Amino acid sequence: MIRALRGVAIAWLILVLLLAEELVATFVVPGRLGPCIVLGSGMVMVAVVGFAFMRLRGSASLAQAFVVAALFWLLVLLGLGSMDPLTRTDYPVAVTRFP
Amino acid sequence: MSEVAGPRSLQYETPAHQADAAMVGMWLFLATELLFFGGLFLTFLVCRHQHPLGFALAGRNTELVIGAVNTVLLVTSSASYGAGLLLIERGSRRGLVLALAVTAALGASFLILKGFEWRDDFRRHLFPGAGFGLSGEDAGGAQLFFAFYFIATGLHGVHMLVGLGLLGWLALRARGGAFDRGWTTPVAVVGLYWSFVDMVWLILFPLIYLLGRAG
Repeated sequence: MIRALRGVAIAWLILVLLLAEELVATFVVPGRLGPCIVLGSGMVMVAVVGFAFMRLRGSASLAQAFVVAALFWLLVLLGLGSMDPLTRTDYPVAVTRFP
Repeated sequence: MSEVAGPRSLQYETPAHQADAAMVGMWLFLATELLFFGGLFLTFLVCRHQHPLGFALAGRNTELVIGAVNTVLLVTSSASYGAGLLLIERGSRRGLVLALAVTAALGASFLILKGFEWRDDFRRHLFPGAGFGLSGEDAGGAQLFFAFYFIATGLHGVHMLVGLGLLGWLALRARGGAFDRGWTTPVAVVGLYWSFVDMVWLILFPLIYLLGRAG
């Protein structure tokens, strides 16, 4: 039992360390690298929760298929949804300022 | 799964079949939840691209300390829930009830802190609309940011409330002896939901509190 609980404790420690890394990267890393590290750390934290607490690896094959499908459709949603606003060059984005 | 020996509804061949269906059903529900929150993330992505300075201004006006403490509370609650699941799988009902109580206390603490944060946000007139508290040429983008902030954290809070209700229901059933070494499926299913709510926060936290301050 102690060994099993140790796994949970290690996962928790990794999550706290990743949170600390996010905070340090926010204030220390200059330029565009900072936001990349911050978002990357967040995604790694999500993966740690998925594998350590939701036991993704030991789940049924159908459940794993649902996860892959959900991530695929999330990628489609974010990719197609942001493609036009992120790449449009035929007009200036005039609404960036207020009023 | 062959060791599952819980109460069986008659549409299932075996208790293990019922447990599998429950777990897969929750995963399918969480897949729909991911796409639900995906729309919010897309909105953030597009609006931030169009209003980078406004989003940075607004991000610097969020309560980072409360956000960071809340993140620690949530990951700790997921860990305590995971410990509770391990304990009941080894036959410790008392350990499960204790873990559920700790998880619920951490979740409630999260919501209380979030309530204080919202109160401060309202006092500083950060709710979008007339009399918005930030001024200047980037205030429009900042208002969009805070519209995202209140909708996203509000929806997350509603999910937390549902999770707290489920934790209370589980704790009552666990105290009544509903779970044992051979029947832990409801505990595992609710655990999936609780961890998913944790995951959503782990994405919201950098979007709301860190990106505006980074770089």
